[in-house]
Order: sequence, then structure tokens, then C-alpha cells
Amino acid sequence: MSVAKLERLLNLTALLLDTPRPLSAEQIREQLAVYADDKAAFRRAFERDKDELRQMGIPIVVEPVPGTDPPVDGYRIPREEYALRDPGLETDELAALHLAASAVRVEGVSATAGLLKLGGLVGAPASGLDVHVAPLPADANLPRLFAAVSARRPVRFRYRDAERTVDPYRLEFQRGRWYLSGYDHGRDDERSFRLDRIQGDVEVTDLPRFDPPSTAVPGQARGAWELGAEPPVRARVHIDGPGARWAVQHLGPDAVVAEDDEAVVVELPVTNRSAFRSFVLSFLDHAQVLDPPELRAEIVEWLEALA
Amino acid sequence: MSAETSAARMQRLLAMVPWIAAQDGPTVEEVCQRFGITREQLASDLEVVWLVGLPPYTPDALIDVVQEGERVWIHYADVFARPQRLTPDQAVALLSAGASVLALGGAEPDGALARGVRKLAEVLGVNADQVLDVDFGGSDPQVLDVLRQAVREHRRVHLDYWSYGRDTRTERDVDPYLIHAEGGALYLLAHCHRAGGERRFRVDRINRAELLANTFDPPAEHGPTVVFQADDDDPRVTLRLAPEARWVLEAYPVEDHRDLPDGRVEVTLAIGEEQWLARLLVNLGPAAEIVDAPDALVSAGRRAAQRVLARYR
Repeated sequence: MSVAKLERLLNLTALLLDTPRPLSAEQIREQLAVYADDKAAFRRAFERDKDELRQMGIPIVVEPVPGTDPPVDGYRIPREEYALRDPGLETDELAALHLAASAVRVEGVSATAGLLKLGGLVGAPASGLDVHVAPLPADANLPRLFAAVSARRPVRFRYRDAERTVDPYRLEFQRGRWYLSGYDHGRDDERSFRLDRIQGDVEVTDLPRFDPPSTAVPGQARGAWELGAEPPVRARVHIDGPGARWAVQHLGPDAVVAEDDEAVVVELPVTNRSAFRSFVLSFLDHAQVLDPPELRAEIVEWLEALA
Repeated sequence: MSAETSAARMQRLLAMVPWIAAQDGPTVEEVCQRFGITREQLASDLEVVWLVGLPPYTPDALIDVVQEGERVWIHYADVFARPQRLTPDQAVALLSAGASVLALGGAEPDGALARGVRKLAEVLGVNADQVLDVDFGGSDPQVLDVLRQAVREHRRVHLDYWSYGRDTRTERDVDPYLIHAEGGALYLLAHCHRAGGERRFRVDRINRAELLANTFDPPAEHGPTVVFQADDDDPRVTLRLAPEARWVLEAYPVEDHRDLPDGRVEVTLAIGEEQWLARLLVNLGPAAEIVDAPDALVSAGRRAAQRVLARYR
């Protein structure tokens, strides 16, 4: 970028931030006095500049210039939409964020520009984290979904060839993938969606803002056997052998109903029976469904077809 | 200069001007460090700032830059009193990084990072704990603490490990030199004295880790941090999968696959351990059919199903 252009874009930003009333293109040309006199050349240059500023995340709004009839488009940058509220970060807090952003990256997304806005790069990231973290995968819809989560705006997208309208509550990185949990309008229930299975771009709707849930959304923190809409049953499973400790660690102490050195009995709420079957069978002959009898029978039937 | 770097320069100025203006004459050195630029870049940035202001662009309407020796002041920059808001991708990058380090136990739960993340979330209008979560697969925090200390101090550890592929529980001493997170799970890279070579361990499958007194010299180089590498000697198995089992293509490193006219897909997998294949076949049930496998593996699924059934009789 030439110095002249940088100077022009900065002055344009200052002018639009400073003005309380939207300015027409013509007023902008007169006040800035750097654009060409030729109308068509000015218009092209002005459109290009506006696009570039918007790409930098600068919110230029278009409103009718007061007192014009027919209305003339006017432009301004609302300060409250432009400016970052001061988070009041202490130096050690900014340094800790810097260190975290150096240790864990999201593919294709730079945290540096964000850190500069917060007060710059403080501290020595070289000291690093003692766990090497591979970059988290990027997803084209991730930033837009985050914006919708924070603005509490319902979103619309295609998923498994059906259109969904969802109040987006929570984004989760689990098992190496990004998930969205939220309230699905069409199904009148909470649902989870894998971001990499969303077809095309997420659309942030102008439907009314939603109220965030009053309690934390469990989302993907639940087991796959809970992520379904089948009639709920409680299943008890006996697990022994090499994976018993792992099961306790993963399912959490609340699931454990009996435990000794060698084995554990866990109780799980099941609303997705095929996911439950996969989980139990992953222990091979080190797990056994105790009850209810119908879930036991389903597993036996499944195995008999294979044996 | 590319379009991207020029936009980056403009954005840096929009962040740097408010910061300098809010200080009482920071040093050139400090400004350069914070904003990641050289002294020359700062000098040329400040020359541009001189030219910026409001109509009628007379000297009194322009931003004032004062440089005295090593210190620099910016006055009359009220229009740029605050930096720009974070864009959603910057917010996602910072909050994910913060959540990851906290999830990995790399920072105190009430320390500077946790406070920083909370303050950041607050200005973004969200509750950090409720809107974004990063999980690396439920490792036992005590085990992870022992492994961290061992890596840091080059200490040998004794592991009680669930070897998932073989479905056995083993005890072994290892010299751990790297913990890494990939694909949502944590791994330990170590020299294993039982196997006599470098091995990778899933941290969540370590039942118990005990710090030993022995120390070791970490290797100058270690193996790649890729999670599964097929060996040329590993047997290959070809399966025909029904459409509902296509997830196998995404979940495992499939070496070859071919779509069939009837909607099924034929995949070839390298099989490290028989129990791994058995688990996959028992899980897939009627959705998988073996097309080609070495004799020893042809009935791996059936044998496993019979063993599991025995528990129900």
C-alpha cells in the first residue's frame, strides 16, 4: 500500500468515525479532498476503499442523509460498533494470552492482530507450553457461528440435506472436531451438529435474539449414547479388564455404581441404542450389559448374527 | 507489498495509535516489541500518522507525534482513542487458545490466563465457560502431572497402560520426552524399555504413572508426531462397507478406497493388531463384509463375537 493510500484510508476512517451524521459520497469527496474530480473515477476509488475498510472489520453503515428527498445514501462508522471496550487487562493477563496463542493455534486464523488490539505482544512466548499442541482444525463457519453465539442470533444452515434453524449456544472441540450445540427450532429440542458436516455457509438470521440457556449446555460432553431421541432407559454395564480404569476416568464418578480393583459397574442414560452398543462392544469381552433385559437381548442378537 | 500485508499495516496503526496515545511517552524499544516491528518500520508508520486528522487538515486538526530521544508521544488522536473490536476469527483464536491451555492444565485455574480469558469474554459479551469448550480426551490430571514433571526433569516413569490395540494391560518403564495433543487426544512419546524403542502412548489410557529416580538424556531427535503410521509389514484387510459405515473413511487412515455401483465402498486398511480389527468388525456388524484378508484375520470378527457372547451365557 502506498503511503498516499494508507493516509487516505486512515483519514477516511477518521472522518466517518468523527461524523455524528451520515455523510454522502459527495460530501466525503469534498471534505477529504484527495479523490479525483472525475465522477466515475471517484466512485470507483471510493467503492474500493469502502470494501477494503469493511474487509478489515471496520463497520461502515449506510443510512439516508437527513433532509434528502429522494433519500441519498450516507456513510458513517458508529463508534460503539467500531471500538473495542477496554477489557482492563493487566500486563500478566495479556502476556498469558500471548503465550496461549503462541502455543495453540487455530489453522489459518491469526491471533496476532487480535493481541495488538488488546495492547500488543507482551512477554516471551518462547518459554511456551510443555504440551505440543497441533493446530486445531479450521472451519469456514467457525467465526460466523461464534459471532452468532455472542450476538445471540439464530442461524440457518443445511445439515444432512435438511434446512435447520438453530439458536447457537456453544462451540466445542471434541475428539478432534468442532461441534455446535444449540436449540433446533424444527425439532423443538437441543441438538449437536458437526461443523464439518454443515453443507455450505451458515446464515446468521435476523430472527429475534434468543435468551441464552439458564444452565450450562452439556453438549458433546455427554456420551454418544445420550445423543439421540429414543425413549430413555438406564443401562447398567459391568466392565473389567484393561479398560476399566479408563472407563471410570471417562464416564466420571457419577456414573459409577460399584467399583473394586478389577472391575466397575456403571449406569448410563441411553437415548441412542446403536451408539450404546458401539461403546459396550469397544471393550470386547471385557464388558457385559447387566440390564435392562431388552438392551441385553439386543446385544446378544447382534452378536449371534456375527458368530 | 501484497494486499494482505498492507491491510495488516493499517490495522496495526489502528491498534498502535490508541496505545501510544494512552501512555505517557513509551520508549521506541517498547513500542517496537509490543507491535512486532523494527525501528525503521515504526519511523515510517509515525510519518504516516503525522498526515492523519480531520477536516480542514490544518496543522491543528492533525494528529501530533512528538519524539524526544528514545521516547514517543501521540496527541490529538481522540478520534482513534480506542482500538478496533476483535473480529470473530480473532476472538475464536484467542478464546480457543486460552481454553486449550486451561484444559491441558498449563495454567492455574485462577491465574493470569483464566482472568485474561474471563475479561476478554466479558467484552465480547459471552460467558467463556459456556460458549466455547476445548477437550483433549479426559486424561487423569494426576497422570498428566506426573508425565509433565518427568518430561521436564528427564525422569523415567513406570506406566500401567491399557494397550488398546492388543486389549491387554501392561506394565513398563519409559523415558518420556514429549507430550503432544493431536486430533483431540493427548499422546506421550517415549523410549519404552519393554519394547526397546520409541513408542507412543495415549495419555488417557495410562491407568497409573509413577515417577522413578532414574534420569535419562532426551534424544536429540525424535520420531514424527503423527498418531498412526502403518508398517509395511502390517497385514492389509479389504472390507466392503454399507453406506451407514462410511464414517470408517474419516475415522481411520484408510489406504485405499473405491466406490461401488451399489452404494457400498471398498476400503483397504493396514491392521496393526488383531483385536483392533475385531473391535471394528464387531461394531460394524452386518455393515461390513471382508473381501480380502490374510488367513489369520479372516475370522477375527467371528471369533471376537463368540468370545463376547460367552459372557452372556
